Amino acid sequence: MTMGTHAWTRTDLPARPARTATLRAEWVKFWTVRSTPWSFAAVFVLGAGLTTLICALVAEDLARGEVGEPAGAFLTWGLLLAQVAAVVLGALTVTSEYGTGMIRATLTATPRRGAVLVAKAVVLASTLFVAGTLTAVAGYLGGNWFLEREGVGMALTDDGVLRALVGSGLYLAGLGLFAAGVGLLVRHTAAVVSIVLGLVFVVGTMVGLLPGAWGEWAAKLMPGNAGSGIAAVESFNPLLLDPWTGFAVFLAEVAVVLALGAVAFTRRDA
Amino acid sequence: MISAHRLTKTYGARTAVDAIDFTVEPGRVTGFLGPNGAGKSTTMRMVLGLDRPTSGTVTVNGRRYVDSPAPLREVGALLEARALHPGRSARDHLRWLAVSNGIPSRRVGEVLELVGLTSVAGQRVGRFSLGMGQRLGIAAALLGDPPVVVLDEPVNGLDPEGIRWVRTLARDLAAEGRTVFVSSHLMSEMALTADHLVVIGRGRVLADCSTAEFVAEHAASHVRVRSPQQDRVVTLLRDAGLDVAAHGGELRVQGPDAATVGELVGSAGLLLHELTLVRSSLEDAFMTLTADSVEYAGASR
Repeated sequence: MTMGTHAWTRTDLPARPARTATLRAEWVKFWTVRSTPWSFAAVFVLGAGLTTLICALVAEDLARGEVGEPAGAFLTWGLLLAQVAAVVLGALTVTSEYGTGMIRATLTATPRRGAVLVAKAVVLASTLFVAGTLTAVAGYLGGNWFLEREGVGMALTDDGVLRALVGSGLYLAGLGLFAAGVGLLVRHTAAVVSIVLGLVFVVGTMVGLLPGAWGEWAAKLMPGNAGSGIAAVESFNPLLLDPWTGFAVFLAEVAVVLALGAVAFTRRDA
Repeated sequence: MISAHRLTKTYGARTAVDAIDFTVEPGRVTGFLGPNGAGKSTTMRMVLGLDRPTSGTVTVNGRRYVDSPAPLREVGALLEARALHPGRSARDHLRWLAVSNGIPSRRVGEVLELVGLTSVAGQRVGRFSLGMGQRLGIAAALLGDPPVVVLDEPVNGLDPEGIRWVRTLARDLAAEGRTVFVSSHLMSEMALTADHLVVIGRGRVLADCSTAEFVAEHAASHVRVRSPQQDRVVTLLRDAGLDVAAHGGELRVQGPDAATVGELVGSAGLLLHELTLVRSSLEDAFMTLTADSVEYAGASR
């Protein structure tokens, strides 16, 4: 029971903590809940595992030229499902705070809401970038081993391979931020995950059914379609935008959602 | 010191806090008392910058909370609803709080020791009982060794031993010269803990005075007298100008303290069987004061 016996007349400003304090606090929070390692495990197992599996399954057919898709389309195939885990992680970064009341502790510790938001975004995006890239590299090494056996493998130096590996990290980071931005607006985990996955998987496919140029452009511009091109060595869908053009469109969409989320976050009561 | 000036919060058409003024001074425990729904938690959330006042201001040590560079070192707060992630351990919860405000990490161990949670510090807080959760909340409030401590309903969910612990802690913190602001809907609890009371009902301040004044003003008292010579005692006391009423075998004397009544009766050589100062409970006083401002009163009242 050491309480100290100060004369508590202190009214001077306490020392400002280091600039990185908010960032480090978010880092500690991020890694001290179990959903974080589970989400990254899911990203890795789904991403690298499924890429390896599909390559093992299609290698022979690819070699015989019976697939009708380029080999490069399969080298980061697992990302299709790994992105689900990235969306969940991005959503939880925000919604778990509202769901548990943690947000009140967060904002009493750091009332500058902009600083909280930047710190969360940096932690989420940087970890997802690293996890996405490592997962893609592992998937490439595993999957390409099977493709090489059949003589249809691709070297790292081949066109688009390195770009797709790093692009996997970039796409997951962007998608996590997109989910976090929606989380700031909706504040409910299940709702955020449904909305984002619905946009990526369902709406992204359905708009292609709209007639004519309308449908074609809507499909090109949907976040999942625009953003995921950068993560594929070669796309299954030749109608999509160029990888970097698509990613620029995707980043703009992420920025808009995050900006709207930031306005809601700073204006609303916690 | 906490100062509220014409502090107001409305939610649509409903006014939760209605232009209230109050000051919470250092060196004493100030009780913030009101029935549920009176606006206590809303006021406390505005003190902490969680809710934005519709109008008016509230400052801590002369500044808005949100302008503090390291608020946990200025104001420690226990909020009514749990503000914890159930999957995080108690130690990790305190650890990130410390990091966020540049508080030395040794404080984490110190406050865990202070609230008696050291042995369960590694457990996830989702498994904690309500009382353990309250203790962790108090540990978080004291983490930055702050000169101002705000506790919203701190005894909720605590057992009698825990309630006594919080009461002692609040008084110790005030004795060190800190500003201590404690909300409660329990008048009896506040009477034991607080030196000063701010009573609110329906978003308005109903009383702002010392606890002693509040008791003296609002808790009616009388002296109960029983005597085998009741008639002569009545005459004696009435002759002395006292307000005496007979209720069966007892007399109720309004106004003086028991000693005055005893001396009067004794000097006349009359016999006494009982002489008691009877206070109506503070809870009754509080009920009377806030009766009009209770938001959801039972139909029978």
